[in-house]
Amino acid sequence: MAATTETKGWIGARLLRKEDARHLLGASTFTGDVRVPGLKDVAFVRSQFAHGLLNSVVKPDGLETSVFSAADFPDLKSIDGGPELPSFRTAPYHAFAREKVHFVGQIIAACLAPTRGAAEDIADQVYADIEPRPAVVDMVEALEPGAEILHEGFPDNAFIHATVSEGDIAAIAARAEVEMRRSFRMNRQATVSLEGRGVLAYWDHRLDELVVYLSTQGAHMMRIGLSLALGLPEHKLHVIAPDVGGGFGGKNRLMPEEVAVCAIALKTGQPVRWIEDRREHLIASVHCREHHYDLTLYAEKSGRILGLKGEVHIDAGAYSLWPSGPFMEASMAARNLPGPYQMQALHVETHTVATNKAPMGPYRGVARPGACYAIERAVDELAHKLGMEPADVRRINLVTPDQMPYRTIGGLRLDNGDYPRALDMVRDMVDLPAIRRRQAEGETDGRRIGVGFAVYTEQSGHGAAEWMKRKSRIVPGYESCTARVLPDGSMLLLVGIQNHGQGLETSLAQIAAHELTLDPAFISVRYGDTALTPFGFGTFASRSTVFSGGAVAKATRLVAEKARRIGAHLMQTEYEETRLEDGAVHGPSGKVPLAEIARAANVRQEFLPAGMSPLLEATATYEPEESGGFFSYGAHAVVVAVDPETGVTSLLDYAIAEDCGTMINPLIVDGQIIGGVAQGIGTALYEEIPYDPDGQPLATTFGDYMVPCAPELPKLRIAHLITPAHGTEYGVKGMGEGGAIAPPAAISNAVCDALHGLGVIIRETPLTPRRVSDAVAEAEERRAAVSLKEEVPA
Amino acid sequence: MNAICLTLNGEELREQVEPREILADVLRDRLRLTGTHLGCEHGACGACTVTIDGVPARSCIVLAVMCDGKTVETIEGTRTDDIMNVIRRHFHEQHALQCGFCTPGMLMAARDIIARHQQPDEATVRRELSGQVCRCTGYMGIVAAIQSAAAELHPAAASAVCANS
Ligand code: FES
Ligand code: FES
Repeated sequence: MAATTETKGWIGARLLRKEDARHLLGASTFTGDVRVPGLKDVAFVRSQFAHGLLNSVVKPDGLETSVFSAADFPDLKSIDGGPELPSFRTAPYHAFAREKVHFVGQIIAACLAPTRGAAEDIADQVYADIEPRPAVVDMVEALEPGAEILHEGFPDNAFIHATVSEGDIAAIAARAEVEMRRSFRMNRQATVSLEGRGVLAYWDHRLDELVVYLSTQGAHMMRIGLSLALGLPEHKLHVIAPDVGGGFGGKNRLMPEEVAVCAIALKTGQPVRWIEDRREHLIASVHCREHHYDLTLYAEKSGRILGLKGEVHIDAGAYSLWPSGPFMEASMAARNLPGPYQMQALHVETHTVATNKAPMGPYRGVARPGACYAIERAVDELAHKLGMEPADVRRINLVTPDQMPYRTIGGLRLDNGDYPRALDMVRDMVDLPAIRRRQAEGETDGRRIGVGFAVYTEQSGHGAAEWMKRKSRIVPGYESCTARVLPDGSMLLLVGIQNHGQGLETSLAQIAAHELTLDPAFISVRYGDTALTPFGFGTFASRSTVFSGGAVAKATRLVAEKARRIGAHLMQTEYEETRLEDGAVHGPSGKVPLAEIARAANVRQEFLPAGMSPLLEATATYEPEESGGFFSYGAHAVVVAVDPETGVTSLLDYAIAEDCGTMINPLIVDGQIIGGVAQGIGTALYEEIPYDPDGQPLATTFGDYMVPCAPELPKLRIAHLITPAHGTEYGVKGMGEGGAIAPPAAISNAVCDALHGLGVIIRETPLTPRRVSDAVAEAEERRAAVSLKEEVPA
Repeated sequence: MNAICLTLNGEELREQVEPREILADVLRDRLRLTGTHLGCEHGACGACTVTIDGVPARSCIVLAVMCDGKTVETIEGTRTDDIMNVIRRHFHEQHALQCGFCTPGMLMAARDIIARHQQPDEATVRRELSGQVCRCTGYMGIVAAIQSAAAELHPAAASAVCANS
């Protein structure tokens, strides 16, 4: 059956979530809730230096067998990630540091005890002799001549330098009426799932396998990585991801703690676990963002943008995480820089830089929040330079519906949609003319009002060709599903993705319900267990609805077809005469419930047509034919009030117009948008992990790493455009990340709009009160200096 | 080791605890009441919220020995609480949870907010939630659920508001 845009029935229903009940009862099972007899806790000894030579690890007397370091695991393989490109340099990342440490928080040793407290007592007594080296903490300075080099054999501190170039930028530069150069910086963050990472491992003698409970976004993937690191064949590794308390990208990399815990369980024969605490999460989990852009925009005086030239630095931290490392961050940032705008040339040099910080990984939006921030800030600065309304400059440059599919100068194929309309919608929703009037009148409380816009695109559902182009060592080009109808007619969907808040137990059940005309109450979705489900890559890159939803659709259609054949046989009619309705196969003169068909297929084979094999189940894999992906997109408009004195920004209004194609469950879609925007607001205003010049992380608790809480967040207003994708099942597009992409851009534009009249320049996130009030003070000093000069008589 | 005696979810309980043990660890690791979650272990996220003598408290920064003679209720103790079951239903209907990790703490806080505010407006609910972190939902569903649960649980207050307006 070809893709259809059918939205009747279960597809498009605001079905309440099947997964809520256990969480509401406090009866869910996260990794930290799993109990095994004899379980021991691990506390890690971590480097307190950003960079240094690790001369020795001294274990406390009498506790030698409770402490483990690199010397205890000579055979453990390093877990290196990155693309399969000769130009990509790798440095071995061992679970336990060998010879050198490269960031504060890197694992030096592990201590084992019956409780975490007791394990920490031992950790306090372990001595690591480290000879400090100068720390490399700034990604731009890291590439300057004479910089301390982190990794042996690297000619400079870059993992890779690469260029993205399309069109003739020199010709554009020669004829552009306007040339504008700007630098922008998005600072470092952690991903901050509320449940930290966690791993529990024990040897199961009956099954002769290592059972690993892991808080991960992809159990099958992590089994591959663990197998490589431990040297244990995959059939002896059983990875279970139970309830996972958020991931956002941070649980999609193989991390040293995970390898270490498994290695200790294998070595000691004891059940072992490690549950990450918040401090460990902030200093040593996956870090993210941290981009620096130096861009030159070429344009006409009319506001039409012609091209973009520049340099992008990505601070990748000390190592490259398995599987794909930080490389994609730079190429995605460069390729997404033109955003949804028509341009004729792009030339970007990218540098993915090693520094003495925790390794970078993916975080909701991957690279695009930075790229969107850079281009959208540049568009506003261009508008200011030309004395135009920023929304008008966007309008002139946006790709229009009649140009679709449109290949951007960054090489991305925007498939369909009406981008200008999304912009117009949010412009109306916040009532731009009214805000401009309000600004002209001024506020009585001394605050300043500003409005900001940003338009974003979100590539989703990209398949094999796209990942091969990126030279990924794992090609997540498909997903799989086994649809199994049990003897009583109820159903299991076994899928290779992971559900950690996305509502996939509900939306995938809706797809199966749609195909089989069953009530979703009779459908259970199972995932997160390598022993239970067919192989799959997991949940990331806004891929689960497109890929896993597609696999569910395909598998359940195969089941539906077989059910109709059995039904036709039972009703003594032709297959072509049958149809599925209300959980039964209907024929010209009657119907047979699916339950009866399932019973025949499973336990009463005498009722099957001659030669038909028993069972009512099917396994299918799915990949869309177009593997360049399907682009969700949207526009955000935000109104802020900024207090120039304190630098505090309040969000007064936030409007979103977005298009993710057909929605399987609009309730869940809205939830993903709101949650994503909240995280984007965190990037824009609050979240940051600064490092001091010695490479010490300065945000190590929720007291100094600010996540948005309820009082800071506005009520969001969401409008949907619905342009079904051509080439996915039901016309869906992925949309899990989009919410997080635009807020740093939109909010920064709004704050700059508010303070524009004061001559304030801020080109960095997050816009903390300190950063904003400092920028206001600097602007005042500049103005004072200018007026002083003017007062001097000529 | 210190002997403590407390009422936990309606039952008398005697435990030997180390002076340094926190309440959350005793609940989770010894008593297997794992519905109380740990999101920060330094009193900043509210995932570990329980009530002690009826008042919400962060079990990650309360020593178990401090609970001697007290009455402690965890999310597991609320399964037959009619009020909490109404709040649960509104959380479900308003999509007030995604990964579910913050949910038990949120519910404990929500019940307390509703007990103290008959008809809380949005700003009140948001302010009252300032110590509860949810990383997934952006709080909109949570705020809406608390408001609609309050309206159902305090119908008199709701009609008084209507009459006044
Ligand atoms: S775990 Fe207790 S407040 Fe965060
Ligand atoms: S639902 Fe995930 S933290 Fe609240």
